[in-house]
This record gives sequence, C-alpha cells and structure tokens, in this order.
Amino acid sequence: MINPVLMKEIKVKMRSWKAAGIIGLYLLILAAVAWFITYLNNNDMYSATINPQFSIGAYTGIAVIQFILILFIVPALTAGAIAGERERQTLDLILCTKLKPRTIIVGKLLASMSHAILLIVASIPMFSIVFLYGGISVLEIAQLFGFYMITAIMAGSVGIFFSTYVKKTIAATVLTYALGIFMCFGTLFIAAVYIRVFYNYDYQGYFPLFFANPLAGFSSLLMDQFGGQYGGLNFIPGLNFTNPYGYKGTDPWLINIYVDLGITVVMLFLASIKINPIKRNIFSFLKRKRKAEIIPKPN
Amino acid sequence: MLEIKNLYKRYGKFYAVNGLNLAIPEGEIFGFVGPNGAGKSTTMKIVSGLLAPNGGEIYVDGVDAFKHNRQIKEKIGYMPDFFGVYDDLKVDEYLDFYASIYKIKDKDRKKIISDLLELVDLGHKRDSYVDNLSRGMKQRLCLARSLIHNPKLLILDEPASGLDPRARVEMKAILRNLKDMGKTILISSHILSELAEMCTSIGIIDSGKIVISGTVSEIMQQIYSKKVVKIKVSDKLDDAVLILKEFPFVDKITVGENIIQAGFDAGDEEMSRVLAALVGRSIPVVTFAQMDGNLEDVFMKVTKGEEQQ
Ligand SMILES: Nc1ncnc2c1ncn2[C@@H]1O[C@H](COP(=O)(O)OP(=O)(O)OP(=O)(O)O)[C@@H](O)[C@H]1O
Ligand SMILES: [Mg+2]
Repeated sequence: MINPVLMKEIKVKMRSWKAAGIIGLYLLILAAVAWFITYLNNNDMYSATINPQFSIGAYTGIAVIQFILILFIVPALTAGAIAGERERQTLDLILCTKLKPRTIIVGKLLASMSHAILLIVASIPMFSIVFLYGGISVLEIAQLFGFYMITAIMAGSVGIFFSTYVKKTIAATVLTYALGIFMCFGTLFIAAVYIRVFYNYDYQGYFPLFFANPLAGFSSLLMDQFGGQYGGLNFIPGLNFTNPYGYKGTDPWLINIYVDLGITVVMLFLASIKINPIKRNIFSFLKRKRKAEIIPKPN
Repeated sequence: MLEIKNLYKRYGKFYAVNGLNLAIPEGEIFGFVGPNGAGKSTTMKIVSGLLAPNGGEIYVDGVDAFKHNRQIKEKIGYMPDFFGVYDDLKVDEYLDFYASIYKIKDKDRKKIISDLLELVDLGHKRDSYVDNLSRGMKQRLCLARSLIHNPKLLILDEPASGLDPRARVEMKAILRNLKDMGKTILISSHILSELAEMCTSIGIIDSGKIVISGTVSEIMQQIYSKKVVKIKVSDKLDDAVLILKEFPFVDKITVGENIIQAGFDAGDEEMSRVLAALVGRSIPVVTFAQMDGNLEDVFMKVTKGEEQQ
C-alpha cells in the first residue's frame, strides 16, 4: 500500500536540487575522511600490498561519523513533522479525511526523515569501496546499515512522538534531543551511580540500561565486527564487551535493535492515539467504549 | 441527512456546546448563525470528526458518526474557518494529494480535478503555487478540496469570511451550484442577509444551543407574532417605559439610547391609545413606528452576544 502523505512529500522534496546537493557534499566529506584515515595509516609509499588494517580504519571512521550524523539530524528533521502541520493549520485538513491516524503518523515519519534515509542509502557505495580493499564482509556492511536504519527510525519516532504531544516545533525538538541525550549519556550516568552504590565498581557484564543506549549498541556492533582489537570500553563500568565472564548470549547490539524496535512501536502507537481527535489519550483507548458523559449546565 | 442530538462539548467548566439539537434534511442549505463564541465552529468540528464531544449523538445519512467514524468521513466535506496550505505544492498537485488519500483512480483523477477547478473558477491557476494564491482563491481551493471525494454533506465554516463583495457573490453562486448538484450544506456565517437569501433554513445558535430554527419566514413569524413598535423619545425615557408597562398587551420591552422597542399583542386602536397616553403625560415622543421584522433584529433579539455570557 502506498502512503499518500509520504508520496506527496517525496514528490516535493525530490523536486529541488537541494537534496541532491546535500547528498553529494556529504559523500564527498565521507570520501575525504576515508582517504585521510587511510593516508594516515599508510605512510609507507613503497608498500605494494594493501593492508586490510587500513580499510578497517577507514570503515570505522566513516561508520562512526555517519552514526553521529544520524543521531544529530533525525530529531531535527522529525520533531517538526506534526507540530509543523499544526502550526501551519494544515493538520485538520488531513485529519478530516478518511486517512487512518497511523497512516498519517507513519507517512509523516518516513517523509520527514526521507533525507536521512537517502543519505544512509547513498553512502552504501562508499562502504562497498572499503569492502573491495578487504577486511570487511558484506554481512558486516549489512549489519551496519541495518543498525543505522533501525536507530534512525527509532530516533525519528521519538521526534514524531514529541511532535504530536507538544504544540510547538521548537519545544518538540528540544524534548527529542533531551531524550536522545538521556539515552546516550544519561544512561551512562545512571549506570555509573548505580554500579558505584550497589557494586562498588565491581560489575562484571553488560548493564541492561545500555540496551537502550544507541552509542553502546553501536560500539558493541563495531567490537563484535572487529573482535575488540581497538580496545574495549572497560573504563565505563557496565559497558563491558570483552569480559569473558560478563554478558553471554545474544550480541548486545542485536538486543539494542530489538529495544529500538520496541521504542519505535510504542512511540508511533502513542502518537497515533494522540493525533486521533476521537481518542485523545491512551486511557480512552483502553476504555474501549467511550461513555458519553452528559452533565447539562444549569442555565 | 444530518442529525445532531443533545450535543455537549466542554472546555474545563465552560460548555461551548450545551445540548444542541439539529436536524437537516437532504438537499437543504442550512445557515448556522450566531454571535462570536456561540459554538458554531466547535459544533462543525465535532461533526467533521475533529473533536470528541462530551456527550450526544450525531447521525450522518443515518449512520452513527461515533461508531463509524471513518465511514462518516467519506460522506462529509469539511472546510474550516482557518486553514493553511502547503506552500510547496501547485494547485493541481494540492488537489491530487487529497484525491490520493481517497484512492481516486488516476484516470478519474484528472477529470475530477479539472471539473472541480472549473467549478470554483480556478482553472487558469492550476499551475500556480498554492501559496501564491489570493485569500479568496485559497478559500475556493479549500472548497474544491472538501469536494474531492464527492461528499453528500458539506460543512462550511464561514466560507465567505474575509472575501470582498465580488468574491462573496461568486462564492454564493458556487454554493447554489452545489445545492443544485444535490449536496446538503451546513454553512456558518455572520452575515445574515446573505444567509437569508441563500439558505433554505436557518438556525440561530447562542451559548451552545439552538435558540430558534426553521425557514426564514417561519422564524419571522415565531418572533413577530406580535407587532414590534419602535419608540424614540428625546427625553424621559424611564417614564416612558413605566407608562408602557401599564398596558397588559405590551411586552418584550427593550431599551436603547432614547429608543424603546416593544412588542404589541394588540390592534391599531390599542396602539393609538398607548401613543395618546405617552403624549398625554408629556413624554416627548419623536417617533412611534411599527417595524418590519428583519433577520438582524431577530438575531439581536434571540442572542445575548459574547459580552453577556
Ligand atoms: N480549545 C479551546 N479551549 C477552550 N475554549 C475553547 C476552545 N475552542 C473554543 N473554545 C471556546 O468555545 C466557545 C465556542 O467557540 P467557537 O469557535 O465554536 O465559536 P464560534 O461560534 O465559531 O464563534 P465565531 O463566530 O467567532 O467563529 C468560545 O467561547 C471559545 O472561547
Ligand atoms: Mg467560528
């Protein structure tokens, strides 16, 4: 099924050259970074062989840059999606159509982050070049891009969530970044305090709160891919990827993906309820049948 | 076509819609009149599914609006009092977007959009950006948008507000066209003469209630079963009122600045007796004239207005 809201916005966005320009510029920057890292590692001009070490360095470099970029731009793109429609007084015109609230929400989510998705997809060839140099497998690139997409959609749905619950775009943006910062750094702080108080820093394993931390998940992914050869993050208690007695079972980044999917579903669900004029809050949804309350005002 | 029963909408402790009842038969143009803040827009939003009421029932074409919310939306075309447009779309793309929401097939879409643009007289603007249209054009485009899925019932919240006299006349012509196409229309307005001319019936709403409704002539009759006399005095207003109150057939006395309006349930003879009494007790009467009822007066009479709420 094609989402009309998405189709309309894609059409408009692709009309301008701005999108193409931004993507081109972005790819140039990524290429420059990759080249620079390779250059730093490969000072030996006379070496005839290509060392996979170098391509792994370039891979990690641009992977990290791209991840940080996603975390930065997706909230900015999505937090205004619904609040902006409300501010421009176009929201009612969509809500009074027969479109389902969840269709509107999903359409706005994908439309507002379409530039981010495009950036991610456009960078795939860049990573493939690294792949040609060896040291990285197709599976690893697929894992990386899967993680990118899921994280981006999770961040986007947080943006959409605040965009429906808060009237002003600015406020929604601030709240989205605030929650993002909490997930990335607040969880570290909580973990540090918790582990200090209850374990006196002697915590072996992976602190569960980090499953909701995109940075932890991403580190875990890179560690998993390169076996921790760049050193573990043992200086952060509870974020222990290499400890043999620590976390066992499914890779932390995989659990991170599940948690992100869960957050996405919940955020989008709450947003769809909020945007539905007939069911304004979750309680009325749970009540199932709306009971009419009739309290005539004495006149 | 549209039936509203005992509708309530509360904001905090304030009832914006307070037990409103309304029935509009198919094919009517129903004029919704009321002072600012009477609850017109609120009622229209509830009917269009944009607001949840605190109580009441709504049936559109016999279908329960709250049980079959989405089904209802296919039957209703809503035009809000205030609305925005997407600045980055052209006129035909704008309509195309709403057409795509209703899954209108590509081959039909072109014709429907052309016809609608023709109807609202925007055919020459189809390649302009929506944002560059004038206010009146945007209003007409919004009307076209509300018609895209060929709804049976149109809910138009002050479609003529902010339009110049010429655009008003054009809007009126469009609405008449729509009536001929068999649409039922609920339209709100502040301009009574306009509504009186165009609507088949009218409901006056005040403080969230329908105060009076019916065809224009029915309303006139209801209010003016008696004669209304306007008495202007140059002085002694209070004395004049006291004298009027002595006559049992005089009621509904309203007092303005040097002007008294009173209902007379009596014949000419009694009226001359009242005049004689006023003059005889040296009230300086300037005019003593029977008024023709017009809708503005009805409106003033049955509504209290915002200040007195
Ligand atoms: N979101 C809201 N919160 C609180 N009060 C509201 C809200 N929306 C409307 N009201 C109140 O409800 C009442 C009815 O408003 P409504 O817009 O329906 O009036 P109206 O008849 O359309 O007036 P107008 O002729 O000015 O358009 C007003 O007193 C208004 O202040
Ligand atoms: Mg209004």
